[in-house]
Amino acid sequence: MNQKNLNIAFFVTTGISVLVFIYLVFLGYDEIKTFKDVIKIIASILFPIPILFFVRLIVIENFMPENTEAYKVENQKPATLFLAITVIVVIIILQILELVTLKKLEDTLILAHLINSTTISSYVFNFLLYNNLKANGVLSGVLMALAIHIFFLSA
Amino acid sequence: MNIIKNQKNQTNSEKRELLFTFQTIIVAGLLAFTAIAFFFYNHLTVVKGIKVIFAPFLSVVPLLFILSILRDLRKGFIEGNYTQKEMVKFGLLTLAITIGFTGITFLLSKINALEILLAGIIAVLSTVFFLRSKIKDILGMSIVTGIAEGIIIYMIFLF
Repeated sequence: MNQKNLNIAFFVTTGISVLVFIYLVFLGYDEIKTFKDVIKIIASILFPIPILFFVRLIVIENFMPENTEAYKVENQKPATLFLAITVIVVIIILQILELVTLKKLEDTLILAHLINSTTISSYVFNFLLYNNLKANGVLSGVLMALAIHIFFLSA
Repeated sequence: MNIIKNQKNQTNSEKRELLFTFQTIIVAGLLAFTAIAFFFYNHLTVVKGIKVIFAPFLSVVPLLFILSILRDLRKGFIEGNYTQKEMVKFGLLTLAITIGFTGITFLLSKINALEILLAGIIAVLSTVFFLRSKIKDILGMSIVTGIAEGIIIYMIFLF
């Protein structure tokens, strides 16, 4: 865990995720009436944590590559490609899901919370422990797609 | 800074053990959370107060007995990596236990007396502590993870 490696991209991504979370809570503010809804939200936030612990236990060998220029150059293209593809694919999937189920994502807020928390925990996990740039691209892509979908496409 | 340095000096098996301990703490927290949620939401009644006090002992006493007589069942966490076959095997095991525990949590939610719920939850907790102290292995980890995920999935989708 090298604290120096926390760069601006990390903070921006985490910030977006927090923003999405706050927005989702506000969006569902009317629906949060009972204790049950609070439990569901807490559960959906906790969901990824045991899985990540399990993954870490299995794959404990430190894969963190030296964050050198060479490593960055080598992975620049595939990572960017992954980012672009994931953003497009996830937005399309979300749109298709809305069309098929005839429901807005806003109606099933738990699902949105689940995607958000799973993605951001995996992102932080990957960033701190493995620093795999390709996985980084995919996870940022999912988060971006979710943010774009929530903020712009389903007004 | 010192803590971070210490972590670097740890061997992989020590790190694994630490993760396993964290996971058991999470499960214990989740179980407490489940008990509180069911208690408030299902308006459980306390039929006989004295039973509530005795309910936990039902599973704690056998646990203590077993812990005192049994030696460690597994050798502990290995230092190197797991093979692909093992990963798939334990991943599937975790999945199966997740599904199983979603069902068990569903059964727990059907209980309508606090003392029985408490007995059930303490029984699960005892199992977890048993795994924690005697089966320090990836097997224990996958079972504990399965229990945690089962409870969470029940809470998200079925509660």
